[in-house]
Amino acid sequence: MKKAGITWALALSLVAGGALAQTLNDAQIAAITVAANQVDIDAGKLAKSKASNKEVKDFAERMVTDHTGVNKSAHDLTKKLKMKPEENSDSKALKTGGDENMKKLKGLKGADFDRAYIDQEVTFHQTVLDTIDKSLIPNAKNEELKALLTKTRPAIADHLEHAKKLQASLGK
Amino acid sequence: MLEFIRPLHAAALVAAAAFLLATAAQAAGPGTRHTVVMEGTRFDPPELTVRPGDTVVWVNRDLFPHTVTAQSGAFDSGSIAPDKSWKYRARKAGVLPYFCAFHPSMKGTLRVE
Repeated sequence: MKKAGITWALALSLVAGGALAQTLNDAQIAAITVAANQVDIDAGKLAKSKASNKEVKDFAERMVTDHTGVNKSAHDLTKKLKMKPEENSDSKALKTGGDENMKKLKGLKGADFDRAYIDQEVTFHQTVLDTIDKSLIPNAKNEELKALLTKTRPAIADHLEHAKKLQASLGK
Repeated sequence: MLEFIRPLHAAALVAAAAFLLATAAQAAGPGTRHTVVMEGTRFDPPELTVRPGDTVVWVNRDLFPHTVTAQSGAFDSGSIAPDKSWKYRARKAGVLPYFCAFHPSMKGTLRVE
């Protein structure tokens, strides 16, 4: 069960660590934002159909809806600013981590799947929250991009708390 | 001259009285409208005190849906899409803690007194 979360931890510690060491421009921040939302949408879509626990299914559906909403705003903003999201080592690490986690989840069933998915979600949201606080918001120069990140942050914190509660209830 | 001024005075008095009545109704009478904004996954203001008969409008300025769900079951908006709103008319006095069914950390309190 713990194994499923390790890839996230690795991929995202790269993001958090890498971002701290370098200065990100707005186009790179946009690419990281889009990648982070997309990998959680993909995992959520899989969990929506595959989870056995109803609360896990509901959580997965919420992840798909919320992260789709955030990504729509991110796309609208980059279009408005005529900004092309710039892929970078952090956005790529997120995608690679996402792909590896999807592979693991696809090989699991029932309660094992539910636990692995929720474990991933806890690690994912914790790391994304740290990344938003330590690198994305401090580095963002455009006010609207900064505002989008600031507006999204409490939802990520809520998702993290929600996932932790589910993790505790599934552990019993 | 006096004949000409008097009707003007009367009209002004009627207008002033109407204005005062309208102002009084807005400030204290039943039917006052209050707004709570849902943005950044929080209710703003998180606590609101209203009188029976007042209407509260919750406006979703967030990027995804929220709900306004009373813990007691007194009201439940169901899903409110971004840029949509939902209203509730307060009836009897009481304290109504509520939350977003989609985001458990998002909480508010409506006091009717």
